[in-house]
Amino acid sequence: MENYNEIDDILAEEEFVPVVFQKAINGVKIDESTEKGYIEQGSKTELPFWLARELHMRQAVSISVPACFNQKTRLEIQADAACVDLRSRCPYFYEFGSKLAPLCDKTIGLLLPYAFRIRYKKILHKAHAIAFAAASKFPTLLTREETSLYEAAQSSMAAFKKWRAGGPRLQRASILGRKRKPAE
Amino acid sequence: MAGQSDSTMSLFSSEEIEFMAEDEMTEIVPNLRMDSLNFICGDYGPFLPQLAAQVPLWLALALKKRGKCTIRLPQWMSVENLTRVLEAERDSHAFQPLPFHYIEISRLLFDHAREDIPDMYMVRSLIEDIRDVRFHKVETNLEKFTASTVTWKNMSAMEVNVIRAFAGRALQAFYKHDNEQQTPDTDRAQDKQPQSTY
Repeated sequence: MENYNEIDDILAEEEFVPVVFQKAINGVKIDESTEKGYIEQGSKTELPFWLARELHMRQAVSISVPACFNQKTRLEIQADAACVDLRSRCPYFYEFGSKLAPLCDKTIGLLLPYAFRIRYKKILHKAHAIAFAAASKFPTLLTREETSLYEAAQSSMAAFKKWRAGGPRLQRASILGRKRKPAE
Repeated sequence: MAGQSDSTMSLFSSEEIEFMAEDEMTEIVPNLRMDSLNFICGDYGPFLPQLAAQVPLWLALALKKRGKCTIRLPQWMSVENLTRVLEAERDSHAFQPLPFHYIEISRLLFDHAREDIPDMYMVRSLIEDIRDVRFHKVETNLEKFTASTVTWKNMSAMEVNVIRAFAGRALQAFYKHDNEQQTPDTDRAQDKQPQSTY
């Protein structure tokens, strides 16, 4: 499912995950302040997902559950998935989650479709009901994937409303209105 | 596929749908004498005063703007029929059969041929009501769908177009999530393969 050239895919892998080193590694530092030039077995740090996955494949680290999938978030999602602010937790919640699930905790894989189904209904109603909701707080809670859904619905609804209201049929090219610069 | 995934707008704009709707046939009563017109899309006429003729909507509107004809209101746009459709629309769960371009045709007629429509305000508000009821139905249908088969009969061009971008993306997302749920094990097997080499 990976898409090397997809910018969203690349950005999703930039998210940090907490890891525990299973092996001692020479020649690297995870903390600038230490004198030691190696990493001890069992030391903890956060690494970007793309690096953690490679190290995990070589059994150098074990990945633990990052903050956006912790118990607190799960409870919130179970309570009312539609009201959880997923954007501030992780803008690539679904993409990141699906990549992470096989490596650290398979139950994340069940959480994602559950959350999406409930949030989808809310997006559907909000996006089509309020055609020009500039002040609504709702869009700020959405992840990237959900925002694209929301905006697709809003823009096609707004385009339809505009067509129905009528108005000028011919659009003026933006360049026509400008005045020429006076020659100096 | 590339064109679909990155386009933010729907495939057609409302104006383009309106343009397609102008090919629907309408009945006009000309008030001039004119030989038949030969176009690529077909031959229309000859036109004789007070004898009804079938022409595409765009031609009817062009003649109407020049005051050369009156447009006969289509059968489905009569107050009786619309009242009946609205009631059926409210009672039943399914969409009632209406012309594929009913929103566009009615708007074009309201804009350009208002004096040919008896009970203009009644007709207009009935069509507005029907459109609202139907759109509400579209929303409840959208709420129910998942990545399985979707069959909705009798949706009109504009209704489809309004939800096209949203529904396309939603289906893609559902498809993605469902697939991930089913195949975590194979993903994992693939990920583990490199281990043996190191």
